[in-house]
Amino acid sequence: MSLLIYGLINSVILALYTVGFSLTYGISGLANFAHGALYILSGFVAWSLMNAAGLPFAVSGILAVLITAAIGFAFYWVLILRVRGIPLAELIVTFAAGVAILELMTWKGFYGLRYSLPVFVNGGVEIAGVGIDYQRLIVLASGLVLVIGLWLFVHHTRIGLAFRAMAQNERTALSIGIESDWIGALSLAFGAALAAIAAMVVLPLGVMESTIGYDVLIYALAVAIVGGLESTLGMIAGSFLIGYGQIAAARYIGAKWMVIVPLAAIVFVLSVKPSGIFGKFKELEERV
Amino acid sequence: MERSPHPFFKVEHLRKNFGGVLAVYNVSFELRQGEFLGVIGPNGSGKTTLVNLITGFVKPTSGKIFFKGKKITGKKPYTIAGLGIARTFQMVRLFYNLPAYKNLIIPLCSSRVKRLRGGRYGEKDDEAIDLLDDMGFERDSRVPYKDVGSLPHGYLKRLDLARAMALRPDILILDELFSGMSMSEVASTLPLIEKFNREGLTIIMIEHRLKELFRVVDRVMVLNFGEKIAEGTPDEVMQEDEVKKAYLGIDVEIPPREAV
Repeated sequence: MSLLIYGLINSVILALYTVGFSLTYGISGLANFAHGALYILSGFVAWSLMNAAGLPFAVSGILAVLITAAIGFAFYWVLILRVRGIPLAELIVTFAAGVAILELMTWKGFYGLRYSLPVFVNGGVEIAGVGIDYQRLIVLASGLVLVIGLWLFVHHTRIGLAFRAMAQNERTALSIGIESDWIGALSLAFGAALAAIAAMVVLPLGVMESTIGYDVLIYALAVAIVGGLESTLGMIAGSFLIGYGQIAAARYIGAKWMVIVPLAAIVFVLSVKPSGIFGKFKELEERV
Repeated sequence: MERSPHPFFKVEHLRKNFGGVLAVYNVSFELRQGEFLGVIGPNGSGKTTLVNLITGFVKPTSGKIFFKGKKITGKKPYTIAGLGIARTFQMVRLFYNLPAYKNLIIPLCSSRVKRLRGGRYGEKDDEAIDLLDDMGFERDSRVPYKDVGSLPHGYLKRLDLARAMALRPDILILDELFSGMSMSEVASTLPLIEKFNREGLTIIMIEHRLKELFRVVDRVMVLNFGEKIAEGTPDEVMQEDEVKKAYLGIDVEIPPREAV
C-alpha cells in the first residue's frame, strides 16, 4: 500500500517537473535545458524574498513564480532569439544559461542545510495505514489542478488556441498572422512559471541545493523521452512509469538505485522506440 | 477613383539565390488595386519562391517589394499577413487537431481583423461558420465541427482558402489552389474566386490549369528559370515564342493540320 501511495506521489512530482519543459517544447519546439535551473532559482528567489524582505511565503511564492516567468520571457528575447531555428545552438544556449545560473547560485553559497521553504500546512494523516503528510497531499492536488487548469487554458482562450496552432504547424500559423516570436517567448515564460509553481509545492519537502537543478532537468528529460515529446498523455504515462519504477527499485533493490531508473529508462526507450511511448515518429516529408 | 501616387503593390528587381541556384532572377511587376494577376511557368520556374518572397517566408537576396507605398521586403511573415497579404499553400497543412471552424478563429481574432471589424474571442464562432458556409461547407452539415484531420483530402484546399480569406486580406495569393482538386471542385471554387475579385480583392493566382486561369485573370505573367519572360493578357502571352518554347520544352513549330 505504501508503495502505491508513495509511487503515486513520486510520479506526480515527476510530472510537475516535466510539465513546463514539455509545454515549451510542444509549442515552440524549444528544448529548454535551463528548465532545472529555473526551477531551483525560483526556490531561492522565494527564500530570499522571505528572509531578506520579510514577506510571508504565500506572497513571496507568487512573486517568485512571476519573476521566474519574466526571466523565461526575457531569456527568449535576449538569448534564444539570436539562435532561433538552429536546434543544436538552442540546446547549447539554454544548457549554458542553465549551468551559469546553477553555478552562480553555488558560488553565492546556495547549498547546505540552511535553505528550505516552509510547508504549507504542518502535520499529516494516515491513509489506509500509511502515514502521509499534508504537503505531499498538496503536491498531489496541485498536480491535478495544474493539469486541468492547463487543459482549460489551452482549449478555451485565444492564447491557448494560438499555442495549439503554433504547436501543430508553425508555417501556417505564421501565414495567419501569429507572431511566432511572441508566442515562443510566452511559451518559455509559461514553462518557467510552471517550473516555479512545481518548485513552490515540491521544494518544501526537503532542503534546497543548487544541484537539484541538474536532477530536475534529468528527470524532466527522462519523462519527456520515455513518454514521447509533445504528448501530454505520454508525459503522464512517463511520469508514472518512472515514478513507480523508482519507488519499486528503492524498495526491492536499494535506495541508491533510484537515480539509475530514469537514466536506464532513457537508454531503454531510445533503443527500443526512440519516439517514446506516445510519441509520433515524424514522417519523412516533415523531417527534410 | 482617386489616383494614389504609389502603385498598390510593386515588386522591383527581386532576386533570390539558394546557394548557387538562381530561383528568382530580376523579377519586377506591379499590381493595381482590384487586379487579378495570373502567374504561370513550368515546374521549378520560381513561382512558389516568388510567393514565399512576397509573404516573407523567404528573404530575398536583393530587390524590393512595396505594398501601398511601404517597403515590406524582409518583414516577418506574420507582419506581412497583418498588413493584409494572405496566401494559400501548395502543400496544405492546416491545424489537423482542431475543428474546421476553429482553424478560422485564429485569423478572425488577429489584430488585423479586430481593427477592421472588432469583436472578441468567443464571439467569432458564427463568423467562422458563415465563412465556411460561403465556401460551400454548409452549416447544417457536420463538416465545420469536425477535426480537420478527419476530413477528406479534397476539402482541405478550400479550407485553406477559407483560412486565408478569414484574414480579410487586401491581396490574396493562391499557390496552385486547384492542384489536387477534382473537376467539380474546381468548377465550384472558380466562381468563388471570381466573386472575391469582383468585390474588390486583388488576387495573384499561380496555376497550372491554364484554361481555368485564363478565364478569370486580367493579366498573366510567365516565369521560366526564375526570369519573367512575358507579361500581358492571356492571348498576348500565349502568342510569344518564348512562352511556347518554355511550355513545350523544345523549339518546334506546331505544323498546321493538313486537310484530308
